[in-house]
Amino acid sequence: MELHTDLEVRQAVAPCLRIVSSSRDSAEVTEALRTIIHYLEGGNASASEKAEFNRANYTRVLQVLVSSLSSDWFHSLPAQERRELWDGFFLRGPPDQALLVLLDTISSTSDGSGLDWTVSVLESFLSAGRVGMLLWSRCLETNGRPDSVQLRETILTRLSSLPDLTANRLRTNTPARLLPQQYYTDLARDVLNTLENTCRALRAGQDCSLGFVAQLLGKVCMQGHGGEITCVTLAPRLSSLTRSDALWRRVSCKLLENVPDRWVESVITALIHHLHGASALSRVMGNLVLKNKKVQFVLTHKVLLLQYQHPTQLLRTVLGYLALDHDRRPLLKQVLRSVCQVWSNSSAVRHTSLDQQLYVSKALLLCVNLLNQTEIQELREELLQCMLGGVQCRLDSSTEHVRRMGMVVGECLSQKLDTPTSQLQFQNYGGCLLPVLSSYFPSDRPQPESSGQSAEGQSMMSQPPAASQTSAKPAGHSSDSELDSDDELTPYDMSADQVKQKATPPRYVRDCLEALMSSDDPERVELSLQTAEELLRKNVSTAREVSVQFSKVLLHLEDRYSTAGFHTLRQSAMVALAVIHTQPVVEYLTTEFYSLNYSLRQRLDILEVLALAAQELSEPITEKKAVSQPVARAVTLEQCGEVEHWRQVVEKRIQSKTRRISKGASQPPKAAPNRYAPVAAYFFFPLLRNYDRPQVTFDLLGSDHLVLGQLVHTLGLLMHLAVNAPVATQMGKALLDFVWAIRFHADQMVRRGVLFAVCAVFLSMPGENLLLELSDDLVETRAWLADVAESDPDADCRSLAVQSLVLLEKNLKTHLQSPSMET
Amino acid sequence: MVMARPPPDPLFTLRGSAAPVNTLQFHCSTAGRPLLYSGSEKGCVHVWNLNNRRAERVLEGHDGASVIWVSTVDSTDAFLSQGRDMRVCVWDLHEGRSAVTHSLRTGSVGFCQCSLLEAETNKTLLALPAEHTEEIKVMELASQTPVRSLIPDSKQGMLMCMKMFQAESGPLLCAGYEDGSVVLWDVSHGRPLSCLKAHPEPVMCLDFDTDRQKGISGSSDKTLTSWIIDSQQNLQMQNSVLLTNPGVSQLCIRADGKIVAAAGWDGNVRVFGWKRLKPLAVLQHHKDLVHSVAFSNHPEASQRLMAAGSKDQRISVWSIYSES
Repeated sequence: MELHTDLEVRQAVAPCLRIVSSSRDSAEVTEALRTIIHYLEGGNASASEKAEFNRANYTRVLQVLVSSLSSDWFHSLPAQERRELWDGFFLRGPPDQALLVLLDTISSTSDGSGLDWTVSVLESFLSAGRVGMLLWSRCLETNGRPDSVQLRETILTRLSSLPDLTANRLRTNTPARLLPQQYYTDLARDVLNTLENTCRALRAGQDCSLGFVAQLLGKVCMQGHGGEITCVTLAPRLSSLTRSDALWRRVSCKLLENVPDRWVESVITALIHHLHGASALSRVMGNLVLKNKKVQFVLTHKVLLLQYQHPTQLLRTVLGYLALDHDRRPLLKQVLRSVCQVWSNSSAVRHTSLDQQLYVSKALLLCVNLLNQTEIQELREELLQCMLGGVQCRLDSSTEHVRRMGMVVGECLSQKLDTPTSQLQFQNYGGCLLPVLSSYFPSDRPQPESSGQSAEGQSMMSQPPAASQTSAKPAGHSSDSELDSDDELTPYDMSADQVKQKATPPRYVRDCLEALMSSDDPERVELSLQTAEELLRKNVSTAREVSVQFSKVLLHLEDRYSTAGFHTLRQSAMVALAVIHTQPVVEYLTTEFYSLNYSLRQRLDILEVLALAAQELSEPITEKKAVSQPVARAVTLEQCGEVEHWRQVVEKRIQSKTRRISKGASQPPKAAPNRYAPVAAYFFFPLLRNYDRPQVTFDLLGSDHLVLGQLVHTLGLLMHLAVNAPVATQMGKALLDFVWAIRFHADQMVRRGVLFAVCAVFLSMPGENLLLELSDDLVETRAWLADVAESDPDADCRSLAVQSLVLLEKNLKTHLQSPSMET
Repeated sequence: MVMARPPPDPLFTLRGSAAPVNTLQFHCSTAGRPLLYSGSEKGCVHVWNLNNRRAERVLEGHDGASVIWVSTVDSTDAFLSQGRDMRVCVWDLHEGRSAVTHSLRTGSVGFCQCSLLEAETNKTLLALPAEHTEEIKVMELASQTPVRSLIPDSKQGMLMCMKMFQAESGPLLCAGYEDGSVVLWDVSHGRPLSCLKAHPEPVMCLDFDTDRQKGISGSSDKTLTSWIIDSQQNLQMQNSVLLTNPGVSQLCIRADGKIVAAAGWDGNVRVFGWKRLKPLAVLQHHKDLVHSVAFSNHPEASQRLMAAGSKDQRISVWSIYSES
């Protein structure tokens, strides 16, 4: 029977094909085509005949039709008939074969009406939902025809990259339907329809196979942007369909299970990005995470610990998904253990970027929050270890954000772990990071960690009780006449009503010194401190007589009365001293920097004062000294960095937009000798003298890396300010030698300082001397800088390294060019 | 917006008390001879004639001990002065006399000033601080018979200031204590009616306006607080105002109830609208603490002056908000 049909169909089709391919008589061709059309869907041939035709002859027929694209009869056909006779063959046969022939034709035909026609047929192929048919036909083949792997693979490739294939050929003429956005959206819809059909079929007791659809999904997601578009459509629909229907849940899990391992990661990632909420993910994925090792790795490790670019919503979804089902909770514990390990790893703290640390911290807090009380008790030991270790190594860090992160996470953990009485609490930390981080940790007690709130609360509390009673007027006592009567008395000017000070500020430098040294009257000390800078700058000669003594007193001055702006005032007075009587004061300060029994704070103060004084000396003397803003400049790099930055940007923008009318007439700046150049050596070299001699209280190369970072930074600044000074060459040499030894320091502040110093040397040292000095290490230096620019965990280090590289290249270029120009 | 007027200067200053001025009292009811009494730290009471602005007489009756309070008694034309020698002297100043008719022993070592109440029932009551630092003694002035002794039950510390006034039900007395509370006493029954914690610091001074049933108290901190006595005779906090510098040594409400003046420790006299404690003026003249302010009781409204006595030994006399 089978054989019989086979022969019959072939005998019927073959002559027709011959006619189509060779005849010039269009009527004859039309007749032949009409004969073949019977075998297509909707024709009147028997089912077995159709099947045989589809199996053996369909592709051949299509190929013949395609080859006749340029024939006369094709062109002489009226549009209506052409659509029926020609297009119909593509739209009514097995969609996979039609698709392959169409795509082949498009990629092999050259521009012309034939191509246009084929493209339009492809469009109608898509709009007629033939792709859906294709998918559905594949679903039904549960065991039937053993498809050749190759064919299957080809169809998958064509389907998943159809927009690319057509765009390669058509370039800008690609119709909208074939562009990725439209195509993949349609594809997603087709997938959904197929799934719906599957559900229907399953209800009817029919078997279906989701293998092909799953592979298609995997392949599309694997290829990038297509997956995004598909999942945007797919995910919300799946989420809503699975909500009410258990069968849909099964189908959706089955679909994901069928995605081949090599593609499953991209499918899962795309899906979790577009599924909102843990329960949606749980419905769509079921317990896939337990069945598939790859998925487990992605969800419990890769997304949490290796990547950190995902939004927090995703973290919430993934962790929530793990927590939702009883079977999955062991995984949550496992995740917590590994997150704990990473969080408390001191090497990770040092070598990963701030963003990643923040991400891991979020994961940790979210994770802990999902645990119930018994699980916490079970994991208590590990959490405690993690908390102690992690907090400690973060508190050691020199980056403020890291320290604060440690404190917030520590407090949150302790809140979960400990009894209310014995919780970890840090006194002060403020800043922008906190509310963000601690908001992941809903707390049941009044939150001390959300700094904004508590600050507000405190200010409310600290108001005198009387003030809050102002509004508490008893009702019924304020008649209208009373309201008016106050207003008829016009108040006098009360601007002279100022806070009265008991003591008067000192008028002489020596009085001021005396008060700072020995007075126990807070007001007097405060006033002396406030006037110190002004007094010193006014009475230069007296200031010179007592400069070193005054510096000593200021250096040892403690903020006993919590004076407002104490550090700024003290610092500006010390800077004034260093500027007025540079050599002795600077000598004193640099010696003290390495001597015994100073606190870190004092040593940092010394460095800051030296930097500011050098800066002031290097600037030309202007009549009106600019408002003393530089205090902030060198003080706290990490805190003020951002503020300073935007201010500079705005300043620059204003400068560029301002038209200065008087510019042409303004007198040229008067030349003045640089006051810093002759004394630069006094600032610089003593600081380099003793760095490698550890003392009982001060170990620069050991634990006191905070000071080391600041020292290197200051040296860089001193170097930078010494540009054009004769001594710059020696300074540069010494500085390079110094930083070369510590360039791989573990602390990022130190590395940042080193790179800053290198930049400063490259900027300030005369080019030829620089290359002479570097000649031996040039290659190594470049390799080091390139390495840092590429792989340092700290963003500032990377950008500084890039800057240094650029400077070095520029130096090299000018140096290499100038001799050639001379010759 | 019009610029606010500059604050006025004093009309004149009275120099010559040769010691810090502790207390002031106008006496202008006698036509044609407005007087100002001032008590000084050296124990003298100066009687200033406001027409020729000179000291008419100097009364010395406290053996050099600081005079902390003076008052005229309208009904008997007598004059009272309280010194830190623990005595209140009753003077007869008629027809040029200046003799102490008798003196009352208070036994108080504190700084609390006495308070005099001349009720219409022809019975003049005087409230004095007593030997126990928290006790108030009320006596009838004419017969010198003690009427009541008012001792608070709870620990409120030393008595700091007081003001006695006549209410419908009988004489009442407001007293300020060291712990910052103000207590309202019913003098006839000798029991406290209400207590209000008006300040966190000791109450330094208070004054009461009987027309509005409203009082004001000052402390050693920066707030002035006003309070009222409601129909149940409870003290209720009403309003408060913040000063620039802490410390007020005396408060005085003008008889017309329009303004209240505060003698500040910073040497300024501050004037507020009495209704809502709206700040009206800051009078800067004295170089040291102002100890006392007083308003004159002159029958003509335009002649009602204000005087401020300071530690810098001067008395400044001002005319402020007296136009209308």
